[in-house]
Amino acid sequence: MNFLKSGIKTVLGAPEPGQQPSVAETVERLVERASNSTLLEDRRDACRALKALSRKYRLEVGAQGLDTLRQILELDRADNETINYALDTLNNVVSPSQFEDEEDKPHIPMNIGDQFTEMFIKDPHNIQLILDLLDEYDFRVRLSAVQFLISLLTNRTKDIQEIILDKPMGVSKMMDLLGDTREVIRNETLLLLIKLTKGNANIQKIVAFENAFDRLFEIVSSEGYSDGGIIVEDCLLLMLNLLKNNSSNINFFKEGSYIQKMLPMFNIPEESEEIGWSPQKVSNLHCMLQLVRTLVSPSNSAQIISNCQKIMKNVGLLDAMCNILMASGVPADILTETINSVGEVVRGEGSNQEFIGNVIAPSYPPRPAIIVLLMSMVNEKQPFPLRCAVLYCFQCYLSHNEMSQANLVQTLLPSSSDVALLMLLSQWMSHCPAAVSAFLQVPGGVGYLVNQTSSNEHDDNECLLQGLSAFLLAICINFNDDSVASYTRDSLKQLLLKRVGMELFCAKLGEVSRHELYNKAAKHPQLRVASPKEVLIDYEFCRLFKSLESVLGHSLAERRANGAEADEAELEQYKALIRQQDARLHELVHQLDALAGQARELQSTLNDSLAANSLLKDENTLLKAQVSANSIPIQPKPTQPDPKLVQYEERMLQLNGEVFRLNEEVTRLNGEVDRLNGELKTAKDAEKNSAEELEKLKKDQDDLLYLLANYDSKTNEYKMRLLQLGEPVEDDEPAEEDNPT
Amino acid sequence: MAYAYLFKYIIIGDTGVGKSCLLLQFTDKRFQPVHDLTIGVEFGARMITIDGKQIKLQIWDTAGQEAFRSITRSYYRGAAGALLVYDITRRETFNHLTTWLEDARQHSNSNMVIMLIGNKSDLESRREVKKEEGEAFAREHGLVFMETSAKTAANVEEAFINTAKEIYEKIQEGVFDINNEANGIKIGPQHSTAGAGGAGGAGAGGAPPGGCC
Repeated sequence: MNFLKSGIKTVLGAPEPGQQPSVAETVERLVERASNSTLLEDRRDACRALKALSRKYRLEVGAQGLDTLRQILELDRADNETINYALDTLNNVVSPSQFEDEEDKPHIPMNIGDQFTEMFIKDPHNIQLILDLLDEYDFRVRLSAVQFLISLLTNRTKDIQEIILDKPMGVSKMMDLLGDTREVIRNETLLLLIKLTKGNANIQKIVAFENAFDRLFEIVSSEGYSDGGIIVEDCLLLMLNLLKNNSSNINFFKEGSYIQKMLPMFNIPEESEEIGWSPQKVSNLHCMLQLVRTLVSPSNSAQIISNCQKIMKNVGLLDAMCNILMASGVPADILTETINSVGEVVRGEGSNQEFIGNVIAPSYPPRPAIIVLLMSMVNEKQPFPLRCAVLYCFQCYLSHNEMSQANLVQTLLPSSSDVALLMLLSQWMSHCPAAVSAFLQVPGGVGYLVNQTSSNEHDDNECLLQGLSAFLLAICINFNDDSVASYTRDSLKQLLLKRVGMELFCAKLGEVSRHELYNKAAKHPQLRVASPKEVLIDYEFCRLFKSLESVLGHSLAERRANGAEADEAELEQYKALIRQQDARLHELVHQLDALAGQARELQSTLNDSLAANSLLKDENTLLKAQVSANSIPIQPKPTQPDPKLVQYEERMLQLNGEVFRLNEEVTRLNGEVDRLNGELKTAKDAEKNSAEELEKLKKDQDDLLYLLANYDSKTNEYKMRLLQLGEPVEDDEPAEEDNPT
Repeated sequence: MAYAYLFKYIIIGDTGVGKSCLLLQFTDKRFQPVHDLTIGVEFGARMITIDGKQIKLQIWDTAGQEAFRSITRSYYRGAAGALLVYDITRRETFNHLTTWLEDARQHSNSNMVIMLIGNKSDLESRREVKKEEGEAFAREHGLVFMETSAKTAANVEEAFINTAKEIYEKIQEGVFDINNEANGIKIGPQHSTAGAGGAGGAGAGGAPPGGCC
């Protein structure tokens, strides 16, 4: 402190005696000098003094000096020392932690660094100034700039991230520092990048693009993998940041063959037992296991998980992790986390499950590792988290593994009111008729469940137990393949109706999802509980329950409403109908085939006949011609082969037909003749009448002629008398009138 | 998994021209008619063979929207190849090429190979940009040009592979400093151990070590 005071004295000059200037005044004068002095040395000294004051009086220095310091960063870039003082001062002002010197100053607000950060980044250009300083090769400047950025990021992570993203090459510049040969800078840069990448997917992707994984694995390797110092841990923490919930980067990690590069981390030297594990090694390995789990986390997409799992097995990572499980002297927490990790590496991936199923523990006698793990799970002397991990691992081993599920369910019996056992049974028996069938064959199994379901105790855990029993029964019904005669679907349903009743049954089923522990467990795959008492329900079971609850409840309710038997009967009826129609259809098809065959046959016969017929016709014509030419009576033909005879018969039939036709014609013509005769007779009668009429008319004519003759003679007589009397007579035609007479 | 070289690509161009679909067609051999907007950048990878050598392509598909432009710029520097894509049925995407090219040239290393792609060649009836115009633009700016269809997969393989060939030739000619990973090129594991001498033996491959002097 003495040195400091003398330093300030030299800068400010000796204070006037008796008048000690206040801190604020001192700072004001220093800031004024840093801002206005024409001599670089003066400005540099002022900055040095401000830096010295900034740890104890950051409120004063920050409030008055922020702008000036920022200005110096811009204008005095040529002088590294000044820049370095300015950066350190700024860093002290915004520092997120409290300095020792400040402890006796309770009036300084806790978030003072945060407030100064806000002021500093109000102009985003200020961040650009710092980024530009990263280009400066000088050790002190570069280191101070990195540290200042770390402080800023700590206070205002999101704001700074956005500003840096907006600066072209901002992230790239920081990535370049990772290659700095001066380890101090490289290590500080690691811390900077850890802060920078926290929770920002875009920055994470750029950092990955800038070859971060290559750099980090190089560092990890050069530091000696898990035996390396805290730098290895920092590298792994940065990798974790880059991969967590970032599927694009996980994909890149997988495609870039980086999973292979994790392998040397898990090589545990033989002599580790004697040497023991350093706390740093524990931390390093812990991070490495986290890395594994991030890649195969159940929250990733199924495709990514499966791809990563396969690679992990193929490159020997799974094998190496199993070796840690079997090694002696591994600290309990590492062992626990390795078990969890192995679980997630095999979860739902058949070949990986098979792989750990075949791992043999180095025990005497040799036993499968899975069995050894299960034995430690049920051993109450083992640490509780370890037992949870084994349970989780075991669940992962069984997930989508029907074979092992069926094998294991046979070894279990619900002999106690153990909720976990009921859950395990539910897991194994759902979607697995073989397991259901195995369970139903266990004597007393169903009876136990029915008793539990119908019991009426109201203790909190009892309710859960009843609900789980109901759930298991519903599974027995739903996934029943009717292979156990005494417990078919229908008989189980009847049993429930009689012993429990559907209303109650459904109510009990609903109890499960309303339970507090159920809702806690539904949040994450891994068990996160404080004491064994709370371990009643796990995540996998919640998922299973969620997926089946409505299906089971619905199907039971529906069956109850409609009556299952009615359904069955109706179904049978329809089936019979369909069978009947099917048979009829077959029959008709056969008939159709037969008929079509017959038609084809007949058609060909007909064609033959027609051909033969025309042949015979020709022959016949020929014969007729011969007959008429030779006037030889046709000899009755000797016995002809059958076809000819048939032809003649046909011909005869044809002729008979002709005869018949002609007879008909004759009948018709006779009729015609009769009709004509009738007509003729009528005509003759008419003629006779006419003749008589004629006769009468002739007679009348004769009479008239006679009268006329008389009249003529009389007329002539009168004419003569008139002439004699001399009376002229008009004689026009009398002579002529005489002529015709 | 072993490769001789690894090339980093970026795909750039206006939003909706089909960048993500080109990548999907190339890596997965499938087409998605409805594709979400790309947020930031997405990653894809595939192995190809050039000159009998296995080459791994790592491809970063960028968001075309203006809002992501500054993020996209961070990817130029470390890329060995870029596919600059426009949509032949939307003239404005062609008109923006100059801006994209300026941006790329400003932020990338000078050797980056840029392939100009006129995408959606299956939509001939809605074409607004003639093939000749694309060719002319490419000629003028020294780019390789192709018309592709991410939907029918026409020319998609060729676009990615021809870009890789161009980069490969530049390596053979010694233009790229393959020891600087910031160029977007990495030598495969079997090359980096024993291959440095081997590559030198392959004629033109002797140039890169010369570049160090």
